[in-house]
Amino acid sequence: MENTKGSPGEGIERPPMNVGGGSAEERVIRALIDGFPQTVTDFRKVRDGFLRAKIERRNLYKACKMLRDQLGFEHISMITAVEYEDRFELVYHIACYGSCLLLELITTTPKDDPSVDSVAEIWGGANWQERESYDLMGIRFNNHPKLERILLPKDFMFHPLRKSYKEGP
Amino acid sequence: MAEMWINMGPQHPMTHGLWNLRIKVDGETIVDAEPEVGYLHRGIEKICENRTYTQILPIADRLCYGAALSWNHLYCRTIEDLMGLEVPERGQYLRVAALEMQRIASHLMWLAAYAADLGMMIGFIYAMRDREIFIDLLQAMSGSRLTYNYCRIGGVAHDAPPDFERDSLRACDYIEKKIEEYYDLYEGSKVFMMRNVGIGKLSKEDAMNLGVTGPPLRASGVRYDLRKDVPYESYDAIDFQPITHPDGDCYARYRVRMEEMLESCKIIRQAVTKMPKGKWRIVAPRNGPVGTGLGRVEDPRGEGMMYAVGDGTDRPYRLKIRSPIFVTVSAAKHMLVGYKVADVVAIMGGLDMCIGETDR
Amino acid sequence: MTEKETPTLGQVIAFKSKDFLKWSDEVMEGVMRRSPVGSGLDFLTRDFFNWATRNSIYPLHFGIMCCALEMAVASAPRFDAQRFGVIYRSTPRQCDVLLVNGPVSKKLKPALRRLYDQMPGPKWVIAMGECAISGGPFYSSYSIVPGVDQFIPVDIYIPGCPARPEALIDGFLKLQKLIKENKKGLLTGR
Repeated sequence: MENTKGSPGEGIERPPMNVGGGSAEERVIRALIDGFPQTVTDFRKVRDGFLRAKIERRNLYKACKMLRDQLGFEHISMITAVEYEDRFELVYHIACYGSCLLLELITTTPKDDPSVDSVAEIWGGANWQERESYDLMGIRFNNHPKLERILLPKDFMFHPLRKSYKEGP
Repeated sequence: MAEMWINMGPQHPMTHGLWNLRIKVDGETIVDAEPEVGYLHRGIEKICENRTYTQILPIADRLCYGAALSWNHLYCRTIEDLMGLEVPERGQYLRVAALEMQRIASHLMWLAAYAADLGMMIGFIYAMRDREIFIDLLQAMSGSRLTYNYCRIGGVAHDAPPDFERDSLRACDYIEKKIEEYYDLYEGSKVFMMRNVGIGKLSKEDAMNLGVTGPPLRASGVRYDLRKDVPYESYDAIDFQPITHPDGDCYARYRVRMEEMLESCKIIRQAVTKMPKGKWRIVAPRNGPVGTGLGRVEDPRGEGMMYAVGDGTDRPYRLKIRSPIFVTVSAAKHMLVGYKVADVVAIMGGLDMCIGETDR
Repeated sequence: MTEKETPTLGQVIAFKSKDFLKWSDEVMEGVMRRSPVGSGLDFLTRDFFNWATRNSIYPLHFGIMCCALEMAVASAPRFDAQRFGVIYRSTPRQCDVLLVNGPVSKKLKPALRRLYDQMPGPKWVIAMGECAISGGPFYSSYSIVPGVDQFIPVDIYIPGCPARPEALIDGFLKLQKLIKENKKGLLTGR
């Protein structure tokens, strides 16, 4: 049980980063475009190691499953819900430990039906984050194991982060 | 056997901060666990929509008060990403030095609370005494003891105080000697080792899937440290190694944090001696552009992220905060099932929970 | 209370246990509270008990937010509140002082009120930090009670954000002065 200082690449397999300049990123983009031809749009490379894409909400679950199983994205970092005037946007930040990539997937839902499939079965870390989005913004996640309020008292009647809920003094 | 649900909290000496841990016990063995958070919810995300970008700086401090500078810095990085600003080099090195001092102070606070929970009050006394040294250094830099508000959008608030280099090097020498003493103190205690070795195991796949980040992830064998893998500020010019440990138990988490303190001393030494002269701050514009900004840093407790949406005014449209402990504590069930009630203290204490950032 | 006929010895021996307890309570109350024995004992011991109370203030181990770290540091070697007799106890049944050190959210409010009610008298409340006094930087939030004195009576206010450990120790010393000025006998309550 002696402590081993980690050498680079210990614990996870890493594809060689500098071969072909961004080959891991290109693999991800190609797999997403091939797997979901019409619904994944608007690819952008924001910085080195940071990709952004839009996806339609009906394909979100299948895309996330493919990301985890075939492309090795093991970690969901953050699920954000943003309310605009005509839509709700859900922003998923998904990270790959092996190739140090971060993918930002954006889905939109219409204003009167803010619901999307839950990815809590794919990544356990999404469980509480989805509950928080439900609690504060009112987005419903289908097939979530336990969609209840988590931060506010159970009998609180509103979803405070909506723009229609005005703050106190 | 009689199975029952027990409430540990919200007022309980084990819970640093206010949260409730409901465990289902079958005799002494834990069968199920369910943490309940939300007693400290202040609605910070809603408050931030009504404050200007500079008015949010002190509020971001109070997200996690154990590592206040880290959240202040994360907010500054997010808004700098939104506005497209570049911090001057001296500012970056000053930020790195202050952040690593904050990391040591935060880990010492964890050590004090952990030792006090496990019954070793001497650990509390020693760690708090040594933490005061770094609090004094940070107080000389920023003017405050706990919520520093040292980083500004575009740099840092003040230049380094006089004799900063001499004092920080002295502090690093002192703490390195003391950590060697602590190894003797803790690992020479058979009770401490029995309460930590083999307790609260978390496998590598579970840790990655459940979103656990920071020292508990590295203690399960995954070598992922945002300072090294996605470098920010001037971390790419500094030579250090992330610390991992192959077992996933409480002893591994303790060991990772202790060695991280030694690595932080190395980083402080390099940052303080390599610091160039020049400006430490640029002036940021008042109104933020329309767009989004993302900040992602290695907080002492894990991976902290902030996502800001700007709409052209001087207030953010939406500010979302990702807290590492919020996700790590949701994995409590996997770490607790199968162990005894007396192990709850060691397991949950090893996660270094700061409820301020969990509840926001 | 109506004057009861004092029972004879035969009747006392034949009491049921519940009646006996009621009778002995009334006798003790008569001796202690309403007769010169009680006020005499109080006169002799009032100063001593007051000295003991104010030099052994036991707060509750209850940390809410940032000021809780400064509360922990106040019992650390540098500032050392223990030399004033301040020892933190884990259960409210053994405490004198409820130290509220952070914002009180609406989810916490019933729990805090119950903790206050569980503490036996004499008891005091110290509001430490801006959040407990008035809501602090989060005064406009939808889930914060702006100030703990909205539902609990407060004796000492310690300003600061966070309040320095020296300020907390100064607050304890002011509480000692407050206890000294309001001397009350334990038996008669006067």
